Amino acid sequence: MSLAGRIALVTGAGTGIGQGVALMLAERGAKVALGYHSSDEGAKETRRRIEERGGEAMTVRADVARKAEIDAMAEEVARRFGGVDILVNNAALQLNFDFDHDDDAYDRQMNVNLKGYWQCMQAVIPYMKAKGFGRIVNISSVHGKRPTDFDTVYAMTKGGIKMLTRESAIELAKYGITVNAIEPGAIRVGRQGTKETKPFVPPELAERAQAEKRDIRWKFPMGRVGLPSDVASLVCYIASEETEFMTGAAIRLDGGSMLL
Amino acid sequence: MRLRGKVVFITDADSVSGRALAPRLAAEGASLLLNSASGGQEIEDELERIRQSGAEALVVSADLRRSSETERMLESAAQRLGAVDVLVHNNDLVVPISVENGEESVFSEVMDANAKTAFVSAKAVGARMKAKQAGQIIFVSSIHAEKPTGCSFAYSAAKGAVKMLAREASVVLGRHGIRVNAIEFGPAEGDDELFRSDISMLYDSYRYKVPDGVLGTHEDLAGLVLFLASDESRYLNGADIRMDGGFLMHYMDFKTKKPFEAGGSP
Repeated sequence: MSLAGRIALVTGAGTGIGQGVALMLAERGAKVALGYHSSDEGAKETRRRIEERGGEAMTVRADVARKAEIDAMAEEVARRFGGVDILVNNAALQLNFDFDHDDDAYDRQMNVNLKGYWQCMQAVIPYMKAKGFGRIVNISSVHGKRPTDFDTVYAMTKGGIKMLTRESAIELAKYGITVNAIEPGAIRVGRQGTKETKPFVPPELAERAQAEKRDIRWKFPMGRVGLPSDVASLVCYIASEETEFMTGAAIRLDGGSMLL
Repeated sequence: MRLRGKVVFITDADSVSGRALAPRLAAEGASLLLNSASGGQEIEDELERIRQSGAEALVVSADLRRSSETERMLESAAQRLGAVDVLVHNNDLVVPISVENGEESVFSEVMDANAKTAFVSAKAVGARMKAKQAGQIIFVSSIHAEKPTGCSFAYSAAKGAVKMLAREASVVLGRHGIRVNAIEFGPAEGDDELFRSDISMLYDSYRYKVPDGVLGTHEDLAGLVLFLASDESRYLNGADIRMDGGFLMHYMDFKTKKPFEAGGSP
């Protein structure tokens, strides 16, 4: 499944899932714009790793809570790369405020995770329309359906993304743009996380499993948590031409954990 | 008198649902705390009926998007009525907005009216319910927490957010004896106008997509709210109850009970 000739914009590409997604999109031949806000170093590192392997990448800074910065980001990518074919909405906040968000924290969480996803979509629609092709992938969470028990407003944003995805799917279908969501479960992120390919389970859970003489599969049916590369594989598939009939879907990607 | 001695807070008393809910709950013995943007003007008839039934109703006009204002209102209301036992969040603002061309200000208005007021009121009331280790929170939501509208993505996104708020709160507040449930209501008379869409034919002949061919009313809604507010629903928590007469189950339009219209399209 080659993505040669495609132009992708990945927000939050300096760390974790976004970094993993950007690397794999580039491996498949796409030119990748790396959106970042605070992870300047991470974005540069992602770009370096893509270029080392002969890929093409650019970094572009934007706070996705600000429409003007989003629009400027999309324009810059389109100018340098010649459009935007694939948008991976990934930049998100997780404040871990339990049920205790004050009004400002509520707004910040909503503005980045939900309004930001929408406004990034809005900013790239003209370029996708122009080519009659677009793939929008919203990175959501299993917490679009199941509560977190640690961050109420985070889960609210993910519940909102589910409906944003469905609404935009029916609205944008006429332009050849598909909109889908991925709902990852626990993903090992962090700087080292994207290089990680070996099975991994969080140490505290491994210890507990050992103490209780349980197989770790009691928590993770596949024997490990997810990796950014697991998400990246699915993004690349959705971004390909093979999926033109799939839109408005939300795909749970959790190794079966939520079924337990 | 299934709500005798209970204090029920209705967050939008001026709305169609609020005007159906308030008299019904009062008739079951509840005292009412009614948030009314019109300061009670738009619900004079309902207030009269409530007072005739001997129930108490306190009208307030708080901006539930703001925590400090909400806290102050609850504090002073508690001195009059006692603490809130049942929160009914029924704010429901639909404004057309498209993904492609929508204005940021409209998005924020719709999200705040539907979702932020839900969070702020649940947080403020929930904290007070914790003190009593008892309470019920009922979110009157919409079938559009699942089904796209094709006309107001911000509305359905807000309802999707409220769905998750209800689930979160059912766990977090559930540990304190508070039950939290959501009702996904619709369609009601006039919703074809409210959700007029160029994209979706969901509301075409919408009455007949209810298998029985009879639309529900806000009186039906009031019955479910009453059940959720009462102890009869003791084991319901974290549920989203779709109350739509089977509307979202429709599939084969030609099999509906719609009568043949001479000259109409088949």
